Amino acid sequence: MKNVQVIEVENHLAKLAREPGGRTIEDALRAAEERIESVRDISVASLVEKADLMAAATAAARESGDPESFGAIYDLSNAIFGIASAFALNALAEAAFSLCDLTDHFRSGGEVNWPAIDVHVDGIRLLATLREKAGVQGAESIMEGLRRVRARVLPATT
Amino acid sequence: MSNTPINKRERVNLSAAEVLLACGDPEGLNIMAEMFHGFGVHTPRRCLTGAEGRKSVEERILNLIVVDSALADCEGYDFIHWLRRCGIEPNCHAPVILVTGHTKPSQIFRGRDAGASFVVRKPVAPLVMMQRIVWLLNDSRKFVTSPGYCGPDRRVKAVGPPAGVKGRRHDDLSAHVGAATTPNLAQDEIDALFNPKAVSL
Repeated sequence: MKNVQVIEVENHLAKLAREPGGRTIEDALRAAEERIESVRDISVASLVEKADLMAAATAAARESGDPESFGAIYDLSNAIFGIASAFALNALAEAAFSLCDLTDHFRSGGEVNWPAIDVHVDGIRLLATLREKAGVQGAESIMEGLRRVRARVLPATT
Repeated sequence: MSNTPINKRERVNLSAAEVLLACGDPEGLNIMAEMFHGFGVHTPRRCLTGAEGRKSVEERILNLIVVDSALADCEGYDFIHWLRRCGIEPNCHAPVILVTGHTKPSQIFRGRDAGASFVVRKPVAPLVMMQRIVWLLNDSRKFVTSPGYCGPDRRVKAVGPPAGVKGRRHDDLSAHVGAATTPNLAQDEIDALFNPKAVSL
């Protein structure tokens, strides 16, 4: 225990935040929501590009056969999940999250199932391109298929 | 803790706060920056890579650091691990919020053990982020530096060591309350604590 140091730390953030002025939390939240909404179009538009990059990364991973190459698919899928969930594109977020689960499983040594990856990549591209135009029923039918695939490949975690 | 209600009429002044935002995805970083602009932060520092983040830590005094688990050149966990051990004061002690996307329980523990003050899972709504910031404003945890861990005390609740155990730290107090060592207050003494009194200023 000789090498353990426990020290008090001044909370500089609290000191600044309690200075006079600023805004009420209510106003801050409203302003934050408005500003996030102002970048909705540009953010959502990037999803198609990310989905295309993911398709290319999938092709490269299949060619290389190296488990490490799943990292690129995982990262892009994770980024798509972040954007889609921020703008309540729920089906797309769920599909991307599901692909993260799969690629994480495969890169950790699970037996690789390429059709499961392909169907997820295709579903994500479709949902990213159609967005709201997919409609609730259309998105749900895509998701039903992906959920079944995921359950077959990762039965223990569903 | 995670669902702590906040008083929305309370004021927070983040205009002068130096906030570092790090995220490997440009659009994700943009969303984060817009949120903090909305909170009143004038110029949040944006970093896509851990290398840019390290440069910012070396160049300016930071009051809050928000890191995504995925940076363009490394993982957010590695950046936090470096930050806590870099020895650049006061930044190495700055509050850190780790934001994760696809999250497994092991990643939560990894973030905590890297030295994050908080781990927040996406989607991060402004209300959730503000709740965590308000919590951090009241955070009085001590900072632990040891060979195996560097960061805020991971014991969020200070309830003392288990009953009957002495505790390993000099300031550990037992949760067991012993017998009173001074006389109880009389009722009028208690009432006096609540009675408003005129004072001359």
